[in-house]
Amino acid sequence: MHQTVPQQTLIDCANLTTREINQKLKALASESIPTKLLNPAGRHNLAVGITQIAISIAGPVGYYCGGLSDNINIEVFGDCGWSVGENLMSGNITIHGNASANAAASAHGGKICILGNAGSRAGISLKGATLIVTGNVGYSSAFMMQQGCMIVCGNAGANLADSIYEGTIFVGGEINSLGADAKLEPMSDADWQFLEHELAALNISAKDYNFKKVICAKQLYHFKAKDWANY
Amino acid sequence: MDSKQVLKTSSTYTPEAIAAIQERAELGRYMIRGYGALRNVPRFDDLVFLTTSLTRLPLEGYREKCTTKTFIGTRHAKRPMELKIPITVAGMSFGALSYNAKVALGRAATLLGTSTTTGDGGMLPAEREASSKLVYQCLPSRYGFNPTDLKKADAIEIVVGQGAKPGGGGLLLGQKVNKVVAGMRTLPEGVDQRSPCRHPDWIGPDDLKIKIEELREATDWEIPIYVKMGATRVKDDVKLAVKAGADAIVLDGMEGGTAATQSIFQEHAGIPTLPALVQAVEALQEIGVYGEVQLIISGGIRSGPDVAKALALGADAVSLGTATLIAMGCNKPVYIEDYHKLGTEPYHCHHCHTGMCPVGITTQDAELMQRLPIDEATTYVANYLQSLVMEVQSLARACGKSDVHNLEREDLVALTLEASAMAKLPLAGTDFIVGQ
Ligand SMILES: Cc1cc2nc3c(=O)[nH]c(=O)nc-3n(C[C@H](O)[C@H](O)[C@H](O)COP(=O)(O)O)c2cc1C
Repeated sequence: MHQTVPQQTLIDCANLTTREINQKLKALASESIPTKLLNPAGRHNLAVGITQIAISIAGPVGYYCGGLSDNINIEVFGDCGWSVGENLMSGNITIHGNASANAAASAHGGKICILGNAGSRAGISLKGATLIVTGNVGYSSAFMMQQGCMIVCGNAGANLADSIYEGTIFVGGEINSLGADAKLEPMSDADWQFLEHELAALNISAKDYNFKKVICAKQLYHFKAKDWANY
Repeated sequence: MDSKQVLKTSSTYTPEAIAAIQERAELGRYMIRGYGALRNVPRFDDLVFLTTSLTRLPLEGYREKCTTKTFIGTRHAKRPMELKIPITVAGMSFGALSYNAKVALGRAATLLGTSTTTGDGGMLPAEREASSKLVYQCLPSRYGFNPTDLKKADAIEIVVGQGAKPGGGGLLLGQKVNKVVAGMRTLPEGVDQRSPCRHPDWIGPDDLKIKIEELREATDWEIPIYVKMGATRVKDDVKLAVKAGADAIVLDGMEGGTAATQSIFQEHAGIPTLPALVQAVEALQEIGVYGEVQLIISGGIRSGPDVAKALALGADAVSLGTATLIAMGCNKPVYIEDYHKLGTEPYHCHHCHTGMCPVGITTQDAELMQRLPIDEATTYVANYLQSLVMEVQSLARACGKSDVHNLEREDLVALTLEASAMAKLPLAGTDFIVGQ
C-alpha cells in the first residue's frame, strides 16, 4: 500500500490499521527515509515510540501524535488531538493548526510548535522541552511544569503555571490568572533576545508582543504549616 | 498501685488521639508518615483452610510436586510475564528506597524467578541490571519515564492509585531528594516533591484506552500492560480498566504500604485487601474475563497463608512491598539509639518519610545506607520469598492440590462475621454466610 517517489515515501492511512502504519514508519525510520502520511483522518497514536524519522502528515491527527518519540521531525498539516508530542525526548513537532488539551505533556526535550491555539493544560508536567504556541492556551497550562520553556504569543487561560517547580513561561497576550506558586518576573534583555531567536524561525518578531515572564515563586518548595490559601 | 486509683483510659481520647491533637496544635498541620494502615481491619487472618481428611486427599508434604508457575499478561502481549512463583515485588521508588535496597530487591526477585517493579523515581540502571524481569511503572508524575527505558521493560504498570492513598498523590520530603534522586526526576534538589494524583495526559477510562494503545504501539505489542489501583469502588474500577484494555489488574488494598503520605489516607480511605480481592474477582467474572485478565493483589500481605488465601479467593499472584523491607531489616532491633533519636522504637518505626531510616532502607544518606549491605539484604529477601513459597505449597498440598493455582474458595471458611460477609464464605462450622 505504499508507493515510493523520489526521496519520499507516501503512506495512505485510509486502509491501514494504526499498527500497520506505525510498523511501516518504524521500518522506514531505520532507513532514514522521509515519509508523508495521507488521510490520517484524526486517527490516534500516529508515529508513537519512533526514532530518527521525518514525517509530514497531510491532515488532522488524534491523541498522542509523536508521543514517546526521540530524534524525530514531524509536521502536521491540520489540527491535533490531546497530548501531541507526549514525553518527546528530542526533535521537532510542528502543528499547522490548533491543538487540543495537554500539548507536549511531560515532554523532556525537543521543540513542539503549535501554529494556532492550544487547549487546556498545554505544557502540563513539562520536563525540559520547549513548547511554542502562536495563539492562545487554555486553563491550567504549564500545570506542574518542572523544566523547559513555554512561549505563548496569545493569551493564557486561568491558573497558568499552577504548582510549577522550575522552567519559564512567556506570554505575549493577557494572563487570565496565575496558579499557586507562580509569579511574574521582569523581562530581561536576555529574555527578549531568547524570544527573538526562538520565534524568528516562525517569522514572528517578539517585539510585536507585550511578553511577560512567569516563573516559580518557590513558596511551596517545602511543606509548610499554616499557608491555608494554598490548600 | 492502690486499687482505688486504677487509671482509666478514654476510648475516645486514647493516648494516640491526645498525642495527635497536641501535635497538630503545635505544628498546625496533619501527620505524614510511611508504612501502612495501623488500624485493625478484617484480613486474611480471619479465614482458615479446610484442608483434607476423608472427603479429599492430601498430597505428600515436601515430596509430591506442587507447581507454582504463574503467567501474567496473557491477554494481548506477545511476551507475557512468566514467573516461577505467584509472588512479585511491588513498585517502590528509588528515592523512597535507597540504592542498596532497590538493587537487593531486584537480585532477590531474580533468584526466585519473579519480577520486581520500578516506582516513582524511574528506572534505576542498577535495578534493571539486577532484575531479570522488571515492571516499569507509568505514574502520574512521569518522573524518569522515557521511551528509552520503556523499551527495556518487561511489563508496564500504569499506576492509577495506591491502596495507602487512593485519590492522593505522593510526597517525597526534601531531605530525601538528593542530587541523584532530583536528577532522575528532573526536579530541583532538596524540594519537597509532590507526585500528582492524576495523569497529565489522560483523564477518564476512554482516554486510558487510547493511552494503553500508545504504550502498546511504542513497545510493539510485545509486553503486557498492567493497571494498578487503590481499592475503593473496586467493581466499577476493575471493569473500566478491563474495558480500557488492561492485560492485568494490580489491586492494592488499604493496608498497603507507602513511603510517605498523610496518615488520614492510610487510616480512613479505601477498603481492605480482603473484600477488594473478592469484589475484583466478581467483577472479572461478571464481564467474562476471569482467567483472561490476571489479577495481582497487594496490601498487607506478609505470610504464606496470606498468599495461599489470596490465591484461593481468585488472585493470580500477590505483590509485596513492606514485607520485603521488613525481611531486609526494617524495624529490626539494631541501632537502637537511632530509633530513639527519631522518637520511636524498633517494631514501631514509621519513619520512611524522614530519610533517617536507622537500618539504611528508606534513606538517601550514604552513611545510613552502608548499614544495608546489598548481598546480605538480597539473601534475606530471597530466603523470605522462598519460605513464603514453601508455606503456600504446604497448604496447597494439604488441600490436595498439585498446583498452587488450584486452591479455591471451597478450601476456605471464615472465623468472624465480618470476614464471612466480606469474603462471602461460610462461617467456620456452619453453612451460614453473613448477608446471604
Ligand atoms: C517504601 C515504599 C515506596 C513505595 N513507592 C511506590 C511507588 O513509587 N509507586 C507505587 O505505585 N507504589 C509505591 N508503593 C506502594 C507499593 O507498590 C504497594 O502498593 C504496597 O507497598 C503494597 O502493600 P504492602 O506494603 O503492604 O505490601 C510504595 C510502598 C512502599 C512501602
